[in-house]
Amino acid sequence: MKLEMQQIKPVWRWQVNAVFGLALIVVSVVAISIGPVSLNFNGIISTMLGRDSLLTDQERTLLLEIRLPRVALAALVGAALATSGAVYQTVFRNPLADPYLLGAAAGAGLGATIAITNTGKSFSVVLPLFAFLGGVLAVLATFLVAGKFYTDPSSLLLSGIAVGSFATAIQTFLQQKNSAVLRPVYSWILGELTVADWESVKWAAIYIIFALGVLVKISKLLDGLMLSDEEAFSLGISPNRIRMIAVGAATLATATAVSVSGLIGFVGIVVPHIVRGITKKATNRALLSIALFGAAFLVLADLGARTLIAPAELPIGVITAFIGAPFFLFILKAKRGRSQ
Amino acid sequence: MIKVENLSVSYSDKDVLNSITLEIPDGSWTCIVGPNGAGKTTFLMALLGMNAYSGSIKFNGREVFKDMHRNVAFVPQRPQIPLGMTVREYVGLGRSKIDGWGRERRIGRAKIYQTLEETQLIGMQNQLVTQISGGELQRVLIARALVQEPEIMLLDEPTSALDLHHQITTLNQIEILKDKGVTIVSTMHDITLGAMYAERIIVMQNGKVLLDGSAAEVIHSNELKSAFDHGISVHTLKDGHTVITANKIRNEVI
Repeated sequence: MKLEMQQIKPVWRWQVNAVFGLALIVVSVVAISIGPVSLNFNGIISTMLGRDSLLTDQERTLLLEIRLPRVALAALVGAALATSGAVYQTVFRNPLADPYLLGAAAGAGLGATIAITNTGKSFSVVLPLFAFLGGVLAVLATFLVAGKFYTDPSSLLLSGIAVGSFATAIQTFLQQKNSAVLRPVYSWILGELTVADWESVKWAAIYIIFALGVLVKISKLLDGLMLSDEEAFSLGISPNRIRMIAVGAATLATATAVSVSGLIGFVGIVVPHIVRGITKKATNRALLSIALFGAAFLVLADLGARTLIAPAELPIGVITAFIGAPFFLFILKAKRGRSQ
Repeated sequence: MIKVENLSVSYSDKDVLNSITLEIPDGSWTCIVGPNGAGKTTFLMALLGMNAYSGSIKFNGREVFKDMHRNVAFVPQRPQIPLGMTVREYVGLGRSKIDGWGRERRIGRAKIYQTLEETQLIGMQNQLVTQISGGELQRVLIARALVQEPEIMLLDEPTSALDLHHQITTLNQIEILKDKGVTIVSTMHDITLGAMYAERIIVMQNGKVLLDGSAAEVIHSNELKSAFDHGISVHTLKDGHTVITANKIRNEVI
């Protein structure tokens, strides 16, 4: 049976970006207004524009000191995880590569725990750097364990799981050994963005925007990594150098996200696949769309985490896993079907 | 001119190429044949300049190792197929070396359009590369090499996955490139087909050059038969073309 060929009409990128950007703004305003105390829409807009506030002082504080940094942090973390997932998928030529499954997140978690147990603070400037080191080492280990089979989803996945478990084991050991500072570590692991304040937003923004800037800058060179190394070389790029820069920047974004929000899975798989389905573009050619969609996705997931069982709160990782795990199985099955 | 001197390549202490010395003149088509494991692909990779080798390979007097200045097109036997990339975009990657990655100059766009028309790919330019057939993919790879406007073109088994009709179409397209002055080096399993197009045949065995000469010289030599363990016969057709067939050997002892 001959499969019917599908003619693809590429969607204009700026249009997709405009729609996703608008969606991010709408979702953010909705997320800011909803909570145990609802804030009215006009009040939010007027306060944010710096006009005479229609909100009470208490509402203003709630808006500016609690809800707004939390939504900003969710957006940053979502953009970081989605974009780095997309980049890992391109670099490893593997549709299931994701910060969480590659062990990058667990490695970053271990690095962050080392930073917390040494500084005794739940957030410090060095935290993302330690997390970055841990993340890079974990990705490197996963890649080396998978060896030449790194493009095979199962091999990469299995080595990612092994490396991730190892990192988590050391992390748990460190936590138990340093029980005096156990509380900040736990508050960080559960993360849930509840610790969001402007200080963490500022540092997260600096690291994440820098990393995403590098990735967008080299995104066109990533085309070359989707070819074999020999083809890329014949077209004038050194694949290993580009691969190192890409993995470095993606891991910095992941590590920062992990430092401020704990471990949130599946965003890096779900978002790039959805965006690729919409834009019909190779993943690396739609990085900005993926970042915007990822931001909106996590703001929405955090809204769910805050409101679904209010007044209690669900960890945001539960929400993303709830959507992401079935999605992941679907891709795994589709990939298996294709390779057979 | 490509000048190869004492070229050797070894992987984990095993010599894959052993002391090869030869010259490839500009604008010629050289076809490398030989049994599996003879070192054909390794030789092609050495000419590409990406992997380490001992000895020397010089193109116009410059060592080729890690030399990004040459414009070499490479057509792999088993290409990586990128997800979400259309035929037009994939062919367009061939311009990256000249126009820069992600950039398309007007002249590049015109070249891509012209090549898509010449290779009859224009009708499927918006299709995803993941959705096209093996024969179409080979045409797309040749088209990508054409838009690259290379000085040298290296092809690893360009016809291995194709039916006879597509084999001829592909080889004809490569020949057009040769006529434009591009130096072609290809590996091929099918000597008969190689001899129809390439003016020079190099037979490799165990990492060494066993035979090197014009198609007619190589095909009629006894060494060729010994390279294939006397399992082949050479026939000359009425039009002067030679055909090599495999001998059918039946084991009579059951």
